[in-house]
Amino acid sequence: MIVDRLIEWFPTSAAWPGITFIVAVILCAVPVFLFIAVYALVAIYGELKISSFIQDKVGPMGQGVGLHAWRWGLLQPVADALKLILKEDIIPSSADKKLFILAPFIVFIGAFIAFSALPFSQTLIIADMNIGIFYILAVSSLGVIGIILAGWSSNNKWSLYGAMRSAAQIVSYEIPAALSIVAVIMLTSTMSMQGIIQYQSGLIWGFLPNWLLFNNPFTFLAFFIFFISGVAECNRTPFDIPEAESELVAGAFTEYSGMRYAFFFLSEYANMFVVSGVAASAFMGGWQSPIPGMLDTPGWGLFWFMSKSMFLIFMMIWFRWTFPRLRVDQLMDVCWKGFIPISLVNIFGVGIWHLIVG
Amino acid sequence: MGNYLRNIWETITTMLTGMRVTFQHLWLIRRNNVTLQYPEERWPRPERDIGFDHSNYNVIRSRLHVDIDDCIGCLKCERACPVDCIKIDTVKVPNRGEDIHSIGHTGITANGTKKAMVVSRFDIDMSECCYCNLCVYPCPEECIYMTGGPNSEKHEIDYEFSQYDRNDLIFRFAKKVSDEEIESATSISSERES
Amino acid sequence: MGIVKGDQMVLNIGPQHPSTHGVLRLKVVTDGEIVSDIEPIIGYLHRCFEKHCENSTYEQVIPFTDRCDYIASMNNNFGYVVAMEKLMEIKVPDRVEYIRIIMAELNRIASHLLALGVYGLDVGAFTPFLYMFRDRERILDIFELTCGARLLYNYMWVGGVSHDLPVGFVETVYGFLDYFEPKLKEYNEILTYNKIFIERTADVGVLPPEVAISYGVSGPNLRGSGVKWDLRKDEPYSIYERFDFDVPIGEGTVGTTGDCWDRFYVRMLEMTESAKILRQALKDLPQDGDVHQAIPKKIRPPKGSIYQRTESPRGDLAYYIISDGSPQPYRLKMRSPAFTALSVLNEISRGWMLSDVIAILGSLDIVLGEIDR
Repeated sequence: MIVDRLIEWFPTSAAWPGITFIVAVILCAVPVFLFIAVYALVAIYGELKISSFIQDKVGPMGQGVGLHAWRWGLLQPVADALKLILKEDIIPSSADKKLFILAPFIVFIGAFIAFSALPFSQTLIIADMNIGIFYILAVSSLGVIGIILAGWSSNNKWSLYGAMRSAAQIVSYEIPAALSIVAVIMLTSTMSMQGIIQYQSGLIWGFLPNWLLFNNPFTFLAFFIFFISGVAECNRTPFDIPEAESELVAGAFTEYSGMRYAFFFLSEYANMFVVSGVAASAFMGGWQSPIPGMLDTPGWGLFWFMSKSMFLIFMMIWFRWTFPRLRVDQLMDVCWKGFIPISLVNIFGVGIWHLIVG
Repeated sequence: MGNYLRNIWETITTMLTGMRVTFQHLWLIRRNNVTLQYPEERWPRPERDIGFDHSNYNVIRSRLHVDIDDCIGCLKCERACPVDCIKIDTVKVPNRGEDIHSIGHTGITANGTKKAMVVSRFDIDMSECCYCNLCVYPCPEECIYMTGGPNSEKHEIDYEFSQYDRNDLIFRFAKKVSDEEIESATSISSERES
Repeated sequence: MGIVKGDQMVLNIGPQHPSTHGVLRLKVVTDGEIVSDIEPIIGYLHRCFEKHCENSTYEQVIPFTDRCDYIASMNNNFGYVVAMEKLMEIKVPDRVEYIRIIMAELNRIASHLLALGVYGLDVGAFTPFLYMFRDRERILDIFELTCGARLLYNYMWVGGVSHDLPVGFVETVYGFLDYFEPKLKEYNEILTYNKIFIERTADVGVLPPEVAISYGVSGPNLRGSGVKWDLRKDEPYSIYERFDFDVPIGEGTVGTTGDCWDRFYVRMLEMTESAKILRQALKDLPQDGDVHQAIPKKIRPPKGSIYQRTESPRGDLAYYIISDGSPQPYRLKMRSPAFTALSVLNEISRGWMLSDVIAILGSLDIVLGEIDR
């Protein structure tokens, strides 16, 4: 949407259409990058604090003398980011240098370009493609190439293990995630993100908002399958076997330090937001207000979308600090023996429900 | 099939139980918090009033200290140390129990023992010390002790002592004196008396 | 270590690795994720304690025993002083015996808390680890209150203990027990009965009782395999015969008897039993008696030797002391339960995955300080 408008608005569009396009894309990309950076700082702070509270401690509090992390440790993520930027950039001598340098960017690009189809509010969406949700599913699995590259180029056995595990995991969990999105697409009969959200306006059962989460029992189930597969795609506990710190040290990222490690970190958090954003849009009404008709302006739309996504991110953090980690074969079991059969049945169920009830 | 469904059911219930526990902690953080904000708040050390004679028991082990004026140079603590972190040198004095002012030597300890030695070196390497407290017990004059113990009115508890240089962790309690210095000091004082 | 075939790979776990419980190196031959052979390489923490003891007097040995199994220093002191008292035929006062039992059982709870918490960390659950450490801190506070040290106590002496109990000690321990016993339920909810945890540990690394016995595995690891063997019951030393407690054994509740979950759960149950012993000991604790009364002026045992084993949190901890009549031991050998537990690692983790090796190693609860000495 924003890209289209920029292209239309740009005066030189007739003369050099290519340049117009590039300028419009850059004008959109810079705010998205800034958004990811700021959001990551907030999410890291949230993770620090939530994990600490769960563990009966208070987390960073910025006590002591000098410029510390300010009140309640609010500047702690900034300090962490600064530290990572300022650190020496170490590339192991036996690493495959080009791939080693390339890997973090590929991982980040996978998460970054998915943002272009996320509907932040009624008007705030960079490109409302007619295949929006399909596009997000496709590009968010691009990151796995980067992780494999990182694992391979580090020339480290731990990294290799992490990369192989990660590849198997992300490729497998794509399937249940996509299958549960199929259930959504069957109901809404559109793949455009805005179209899916618009389908969810109004009330259902008289009192609940018409979110797909509440539409029928099958979509209810589909939401959980999608969300848990999403957690697995982000490599977060209980599915964090690619970087299982007590087994693989840091998995594919073992040899990375400083800025390059920060990019992996950033893309993990960006991935979390993409998964939460898609789950919020596809199942929880995106920018729709929970009480239909109330506070429905685009500004509030942004608020509702962000709060829904942040709630799902909170759930991910909560999972992480509660559960142990699965073993690699059990992870596959859960996917192939649990989620995929259930989501296949789910598609069937949604179809039947749609025929009979809806 | 029944097994399969039961498995799923167990997974969901046990996970929800775990999440309930963690959420309770998250919610009640104000009540459950165990963190001390270190430089502002400090760990309360155990009560000094522990119900028995302090001279017998030295309850807090934080740093060794020697009241060098009371030391008679009997070397019992040096022998008791399992890691040999105490090093003592002594020099005999001609007149037992006599003060030698020029080198700051007092002749009589707080317990009233007349000293036969000048302790010319009393080094404790705290980086070697294993805090076993074994040197404290044999001391006849009760002059070596862990600070924070019975005499801690004199010395503040010092559980966070740290140094930038490892050599600074060698605490030198005695002033270095040689035989000649003592001889000359005692001869001067005896001349003055006569 | 056999020949590494073409499709196999040698992987070094440690000495710098997050979950080797000290400084241990595991040379693992893997085929992908499947482990085909493990060779534990120890010695990174060797501090020559046994040789050092030959040049120390008998009192000076006690700080060294502290530093062997630094998680359960009280129990290590206890084993040594029990051996020495048997060698010198010292009869210690009742109050001292009770104080020792209280300290040993408190330290057993502290040690198991650490073992279980770190085990949670090994399988990826961070939060239970911190809950257990929080409660372990309370026990360390009690020790600090008593003897001024939090980790390496040098508390039990031949013939007595170094400090008498402070005023209010009994109430403090009762307070701790009242606080602690409900917490066990929380640990069970968050970790023990969590389905993922059960999946990770049940049926994994099964240690059959015959293998355990033939390797000399003892303590909770042996009891996890279903063998009812506890020196406190079977060869009572000190005054353990006066207390009424059970010896929990692994029963294969969620998997096979002797799997990691059983070894984990036996420790959980043992903490309950220790709390039971503590309550009895606190009730019967004699009010008067000098704790220094039986301490000999000079420790100079007669010529001879002694082999005395005691039940430390990790198993049969034994001291073999040869005395030649001088104030220094001629030879002092420590039989370390963690060493035998580590030696069985290769036997039970062959054919499991890399993640399972970490889980099995954690369930054996080894302390490298005790293995290397």
